[in-house]
Amino acid sequence: MNTIADITDTVQKTPADRPNDEGHLGLWLSLPAQLLVLFIAVFPILMQIYISLTDWSPLDGIGWWRAWELWNSFANYTDLAQDNRFWSALLRTLLVMVVCVPVEFLLGLGLAVLFVDEFPGRRFLYSVLLIPMMVVPAVAGYMFFMLFQSGGPINDILAFFVGQPVKIAWLSDPDLALIAVMVADIWQWTPLMFLILLAGLVGVPEDQQRAATLLGASWWRRFITIVLPRMKTIMIIALAIRVIENFKIFDTLFIMTGGGPGVATETISVYIYKVTQQELIWGYVAAIALAILITLSIVSAYAIRHVSSPEADT
Amino acid sequence: MTEIRLSNLGKDFASFTALADMNMTIADGEFMALLGPSGCGKSTTMNMIAGMLEPTTGSIEFDGRDVRGVPMARRGVGFVFQNYAIFTHMTVWDNLAYGLKARGTPRAEVARRVEETASLLQLSPLLKRRASGLSVNILQRLAIGRSAIVEPAIFLLDEPLSNVDAAFRAVMRTELKQLQRQFKQTMIYVTHDQLEAMTMADRIAVMDHGKLLQVGTPLDVYNNPQNTFVAGFLGSPGMNLMQGHVRQDGSSTAVDFGAHGSITVSDTAIEAAAAKSDGRVQFGFRPEAAAPSQDGALRFPVNFIERIGSRTIVHLGDPDNAIKIIVANQTELPRVGEVLSLDITKGSERFFEIESGQAVGRQSDGLH
Amino acid sequence: MASISFRNVSKSYGKTQALDNVSFEVEDNAFFCLFGPPLCGKSTILKIILGLVQPDEGEVLIDGRPVTHVAPAQRNVAMVFQNLALFPHMTADQNVRFPLVERGTPIDEIDRRVSEIAEKLHISHILQKPPAQLSGGERQRVAIARALVRDPVAYLMDDPISALDARLREQTRVELRRLQQDLGHTLVYVTHDQEEAMSVADSMAIMEQGRIRQIGAPEALYDQPNSEYVARLLGSPAINIVPTELFGTDRTFPEPPAFPGNASSVGIRPEDLQVHTRSDQPNASVISVEPLGGFTTLTLEAQGVQLRATLRSQPDFTVGEKVALAHDTAQSHFFDKAGSAIAAAT
Repeated sequence: MNTIADITDTVQKTPADRPNDEGHLGLWLSLPAQLLVLFIAVFPILMQIYISLTDWSPLDGIGWWRAWELWNSFANYTDLAQDNRFWSALLRTLLVMVVCVPVEFLLGLGLAVLFVDEFPGRRFLYSVLLIPMMVVPAVAGYMFFMLFQSGGPINDILAFFVGQPVKIAWLSDPDLALIAVMVADIWQWTPLMFLILLAGLVGVPEDQQRAATLLGASWWRRFITIVLPRMKTIMIIALAIRVIENFKIFDTLFIMTGGGPGVATETISVYIYKVTQQELIWGYVAAIALAILITLSIVSAYAIRHVSSPEADT
Repeated sequence: MTEIRLSNLGKDFASFTALADMNMTIADGEFMALLGPSGCGKSTTMNMIAGMLEPTTGSIEFDGRDVRGVPMARRGVGFVFQNYAIFTHMTVWDNLAYGLKARGTPRAEVARRVEETASLLQLSPLLKRRASGLSVNILQRLAIGRSAIVEPAIFLLDEPLSNVDAAFRAVMRTELKQLQRQFKQTMIYVTHDQLEAMTMADRIAVMDHGKLLQVGTPLDVYNNPQNTFVAGFLGSPGMNLMQGHVRQDGSSTAVDFGAHGSITVSDTAIEAAAAKSDGRVQFGFRPEAAAPSQDGALRFPVNFIERIGSRTIVHLGDPDNAIKIIVANQTELPRVGEVLSLDITKGSERFFEIESGQAVGRQSDGLH
Repeated sequence: MASISFRNVSKSYGKTQALDNVSFEVEDNAFFCLFGPPLCGKSTILKIILGLVQPDEGEVLIDGRPVTHVAPAQRNVAMVFQNLALFPHMTADQNVRFPLVERGTPIDEIDRRVSEIAEKLHISHILQKPPAQLSGGERQRVAIARALVRDPVAYLMDDPISALDARLREQTRVELRRLQQDLGHTLVYVTHDQEEAMSVADSMAIMEQGRIRQIGAPEALYDQPNSEYVARLLGSPAINIVPTELFGTDRTFPEPPAFPGNASSVGIRPEDLQVHTRSDQPNASVISVEPLGGFTTLTLEAQGVQLRATLRSQPDFTVGEKVALAHDTAQSHFFDKAGSAIAAAT
């Protein structure tokens, strides 16, 4: 519905209802923009596909467009299938995701439930909770690098509870380093989950919850049968955002451990970085990047289909 | 099935008094309508009965048991929301079963009772359907069924027909009344529509500005309004009210309306009431209790004639004394601007004090 | 000020036929009401008059001039929306002057026209208030003033008072009717409330699924419906459609003298049904009694058919009581199998 009483004022700007002309005109007017989008989105992918089928490296001294001279067909992809370092990086990335995303989700949901109701100091705590999200990831990485030093505050706090000095080498122990990295990720991204889920929680119709209460439902039953189903759409969105973001985890981690010790915290992004910057086999890098792009696309497509399905009604 | 007693019930929101001094008993199995304009305290009253609000003063008893402090989940109250609050992400079956499952009723019994309720409400063919996209009368039945299945002590209905199309409201009213007869449950129905209250309720409680003004059967409240607000709120159109001067006319007493004529009265209470405010009194009569006649007692210029199907509403008088009468369609009427003279049906005259608006003389049959 | 005519107008959206060969005339200065169930095509007619939608076939004339290819802005037709759409952050005055300011009318001209229209609509005293401080009826008038301030040839209203409560609707519809008479603009009005339609309209069109079933003055439509459909839509409670099996010797009703041969049902308005108690030949029983003060509605059953009767005042009936029904034969409506009205045999 229009907000102006005087409809003729508003329709003045739209041409008369002649759908065919309008359709063609629209196409012509938007053509430059469409070409631009096509160029931005499609060109890099095509370029990548092209390079991924060659042995091209910038050290070869020929421009990328001449990479066909180093054509190797699918050799990069077959190499990738046998590259143990790649597969362990991928598994490590998935491990981080499987731990971090659910923890962030549950913490975010719990906080959101607490923050739905009014309590003294709510506004202040709300602002405090959002701070980690606003910290530049590199700075966050540096912060946790300091915190997890063997003489750092985390060990000091542990020492206070244990009652004797603690000297855990968080970042140089191959097992512990990954935990430290996960803690940093959870600290930084729980607030985003919290924010999205709180918005979803506020949107659950209050009289439905009251109706459930009046029918004798406990808080927990109400939460499971009314609140969560009604938040389905927003939960899927929140999880999809975090799954995709978490898969790309790099900056915080790289500053904390640099992927080390050894390859103990080497995720896909760190691996790609190293291959790109240190080994300079760019044809191979392109193959890795494409493999990941396809994986992520499938995940997002699945999530989007779920979100837009008619089941997810409001 | 429960008797509900409200004693000195009151509710303040900060400095605003939403309800004061409400005393009322609702009998077991009764259909009680709380009627009044928005902000009259009717919803506050209902929310306190449901346990959504705690009273500031007074008490609420279900069958003699004080329910203050009892959480709403344990009061045994069925609540039908304005928009029905159906769980649209579930099937009709799941909606009906919700309350029983919440109580941990054994599965076989849940299934049996859902079937039972569904067939009573003619919902059986819809049990497997998702509850979204159902028509409004199905939603109403489902909302009532969902509450009824857990056998609540009382049913509270919060203006359930206010979002329904005019054309469909009559159907929904009839259906609701039938449902109440089926379930024989105490029902409290909140509405601002006097027609809904008149057609469905056993008794009506008229409220305004946080006060209970009158309780009685629909006809009792209609015929013997205790004050001018009730008089004007019931009826379509409401009761006509006009100010007149009481004067002695030889041996009899008359109420004089200046240019509009006068009527003779015989009740001494009217003179007593008039004495309180310079001999003035408010005279009230129902639109259908006046009939055009050659030499009627009252005369008004015709303002506007509104024919609505089976009846004609004649708008008379001036802004100070706006009078409406209902006449049969065939009635011969003067043209707009000309004067219509009318007689008031004997026995249907009502009088009210000017200052307080309280009815003079007659008392309603049943009070509180 | 203008007349509006539709000549054989059709419009479909894909497979849905929104309007099917619709023709009608709205006379200059008339209060014309479109009435029918949801999705019957009422809103499509409004959109075509405004010029937002082009008809597939047929012709639309405003003031005798075909407007099929006239752009909406040139038609000078105003619209009052269902939710009134007043700007909440502006005063009534700013709301009313908005359309003039928008089209760059000189300031003293705006002042003159706003005060003129405000006076006509009796809103001069509330012009400085924001909409939130106005009553429902006042807001209504401000919205009308905003529509009329630029002097349109006609204005349209889409169910403008359905959001008000029952009592206020009763007052507002009378006010609207008076206003329209005073202002004398052509008004096309959409509603789904039959009582409102009959109260306000000079002339009304009753629609069903994109077609106009009957056009005429409300009284004429109520008294002489051309079909069962029209008869049922007007009047509350709805007209009784009584099968002919209930008429004849030893039946509920004696056969009326003018019973046409091909009649399959007889329409009897609830107010034309007479209910007699203490009859020695009861032929119906009372199912429910709804006393409404000024009148009483009875639901009755005769030969397995449910009937409704509206009686004046507060007669004394009890549920289950046996009664005798009669009706004024002059007020009968006859319908054939297809639901069309047929004249009484003479």
